Amino acid sequence: MRAYYSIFRMRRRMETQYRGAVLGGIICQVFFGLILVAVYRAMYAGRPQSMPIEHVASYVWLQQAFFRMLLSNDPDLLDKIRTGGIAYDLCRPVHLYGYYYARILAQKLMGSLLRAVPMLAFALLLPRGWGLSLPAGAPALLCALAALALGLLCMSALENLTMGFTMRTLDHRGMQAMMNLLTITFSGNLLPLTLFPDSWQRVITLLPYAQLLDAPIRLYTGDSALSLAPGILLLQAVWTVVLVLAGCLLWRVNQRRLIIQGG
Amino acid sequence: MNTFRLYLKSMSMLIRSQLQYPLSFLTQTLAQLVMEAGELLAVTLLVHRFDHLNQWTGGDLYFFFGLMSVTFYLTEFWGRGLTGAFSGMVRSGQLDTLLTRPRGVLTQVLCSAVDPRRITCVAVGVVSLAMGSRMSAVRWSAGNILLLAESIFCGFWMVLGLFMIEGVLCIYSVKSVEMANTLTYGGRSACQYPVDAYPRPLRAVFTVIAPFALVMHVPASQILGKPVFGWPGWAAYLAPLAGLVVFGVMYTVFARAIRFYRSTGS
Amino acid sequence: MAVQPQKRQGFALSYIEVRGVNKFFTVRKKRSRGALFREKETVHALKDLSLDIEQGELVGYIGPNGAGKSTTVKILSGILTPEEGTVTVGGRVPWISRKNHVRRIGVVFGQRSQLWWDVPIQDSFSLLRDIYRVPDGAYQKRLGELTEALQLGDLLRTPLRLCSLGQRMRAELCGSLLHSPELLFLDEPTIGLDAVSKLALRDFLRWENGQRGTTILLTTHDMEDITALSSRVMVLGHGRLLYDGAMRDLLARYDTQRTAAVRYEAPVELSGLPAGCQVARQGETFLVTYSPQAVAAGEVLERLRLAGPIAELTIQPQSVDHLIARMYREMEL
Repeated sequence: MRAYYSIFRMRRRMETQYRGAVLGGIICQVFFGLILVAVYRAMYAGRPQSMPIEHVASYVWLQQAFFRMLLSNDPDLLDKIRTGGIAYDLCRPVHLYGYYYARILAQKLMGSLLRAVPMLAFALLLPRGWGLSLPAGAPALLCALAALALGLLCMSALENLTMGFTMRTLDHRGMQAMMNLLTITFSGNLLPLTLFPDSWQRVITLLPYAQLLDAPIRLYTGDSALSLAPGILLLQAVWTVVLVLAGCLLWRVNQRRLIIQGG
Repeated sequence: MNTFRLYLKSMSMLIRSQLQYPLSFLTQTLAQLVMEAGELLAVTLLVHRFDHLNQWTGGDLYFFFGLMSVTFYLTEFWGRGLTGAFSGMVRSGQLDTLLTRPRGVLTQVLCSAVDPRRITCVAVGVVSLAMGSRMSAVRWSAGNILLLAESIFCGFWMVLGLFMIEGVLCIYSVKSVEMANTLTYGGRSACQYPVDAYPRPLRAVFTVIAPFALVMHVPASQILGKPVFGWPGWAAYLAPLAGLVVFGVMYTVFARAIRFYRSTGS
Repeated sequence: MAVQPQKRQGFALSYIEVRGVNKFFTVRKKRSRGALFREKETVHALKDLSLDIEQGELVGYIGPNGAGKSTTVKILSGILTPEEGTVTVGGRVPWISRKNHVRRIGVVFGQRSQLWWDVPIQDSFSLLRDIYRVPDGAYQKRLGELTEALQLGDLLRTPLRLCSLGQRMRAELCGSLLHSPELLFLDEPTIGLDAVSKLALRDFLRWENGQRGTTILLTTHDMEDITALSSRVMVLGHGRLLYDGAMRDLLARYDTQRTAAVRYEAPVELSGLPAGCQVARQGETFLVTYSPQAVAAGEVLERLRLAGPIAELTIQPQSVDHLIARMYREMEL
């Protein structure tokens, strides 16, 4: 357990080392947020939709604030896979899947916490319809937070599973790029899922990609009624369990292969 | 050997060396294709839901999007040395090696990298341009063809100029160099859509500081027959030259930065 | 502002002439707790540095890390401008008209490659030829000469990434000499090389220096490079030139210790050694350290012989590395 704890501590230290880079990243992300909101507002001006523009703006800002949770961003790990340095980790007395799961989780959590707080504060200060609105209610906020936590577990499991596949392919960069594209498109970062055609939404929102940010954001804005919350949380939990099990299985097979082939 | 031939030779060498890993090259090129297709998909879905943006029809929006993709990714393709590699060169000290050679630094930087994977992004842009021009029934007169070519050409140099900002900040060892992305990648994202979608401050940024609007939107809207600022036709031929001005200004700043680097060092 | 060098009438200018050069760097200190901004600190990298090197010399340039060695090389190669002082190389001021200057020099940064990773070495070379605008005939002649001396013949068609470290360094060297520079800077060229590659590299440098009269300035931490290659050595510390002269004299100055290792056929007690001798034991071997200036070797040997029948005896000077380490210590570097 201590080992996992120190992974988180290491990550936090790493993130706070590059304060300048974090600041630059935040400024950039805020700028992107402003651009997106402006475009959607211009679109709304011509043809208002059932979902109010305030919700779209909130959607955009929450996506921007937790952007770091979406993408896998661990060049170290990819390098390890490429160079075979992963063999070192086989020598460590830790459960391999758990070790990498903790790494991914730590990177997503620590990477975004530092950025999300100032960005959300900024977005709350923007005028109504441009910035982040307050949550639909206290229960909605609590449900959204629970959904975010579950979504994070689910997404980390998905990423760890992909990592397992990446180890088996010859070209990890292509694989990683594809994974990131799927995530960006179907998580609502490219375009809020609420603006996708309604028939598409029925399918996309069930995919694991939508669990990380789309599900909690809808609870936050109230687009998903409170009565739907148990169902949403259940779906997230099911995905998490399925993805963790699949990941464990794949990693075990990989590990056996690594040992036999000698890296 | 003159500079341009040196550049071409370097490019052919670099492309050959990337093709040494055909599988990696293929998958990454494919990934680029999917990425840019995803961006186009977002525009398509917006058009599907909203039908138009201000006075711009779906066809117009595809046209703007295509012009941006073609220009921006041509720059990333051929100007990779500046758009991607330069900051790393400053940090790793590779810049010192360039300074020990009897050629201009900028020439050598441009000769040092190429990104042929972007070809698929350019292709998506071409498709989008064609789609837009068909849907909006663009008449391809000689003047319009000239405008399009001029826009792409000047856009290339403007984007190169904007990417120099990051390199310059790196030389002055500014910590938050990522800020520079607001003008480059931010500009690309924003100006996929015509500039009048934005409130005045953003419009000012993309007209005066990073003049995507002058270089792309003014000529494109002229081609589409709906001048964006209501300017006369001849102004559309002049506006893109702003891109060359950006490059010129940044080139001067860049040269100063190199001089600063040589007087401080590390 | 740098002062223009004055042409001294009646005196021949040295090939490299450095006079009173000062160079400052501003570095940012690590942010202290709670401080909003980092404090800046000025480092005086070169302090009033003056030196002369004649054409055709092969000079070793040593000093601990951070002494200012690479700063000197960067100034001499026109990358950096000093705050004060004058520098001329072959009558040129390096940082004025950089391109004109660097055309005539070659630089090898030991840990940085100037060749392209994934293409055959000869393609990298041909690009370097274009960068330096070397005429075709001269290029072919020079390439043939260098490939023979560096034994690169079969490697030219191989991509750099498939080469061993030693092969890579030979290729780097070849690349930096293709335009026949009159001056070559070498920054740690033998770092990480195996014994065979090191010897071959040194042979080549001696050849290039002797054959073509290329002036070579070699910075290194490998003292064997220096002892094997250069008769003249310059020691830099804290931005100052601390020694400039023959390697032999430098060593003699610090070479004040001999160690006699002696093993006896049967266990003995050592006693009656001259004052100033230090004795240590390593298993069955006695290590007797003495200073040849204070004690005559014969006296020590006599005593050792009297202690009992000797099975084995060697006398060794300190290694060059030890000498240099002691020198740095005594110069308080």
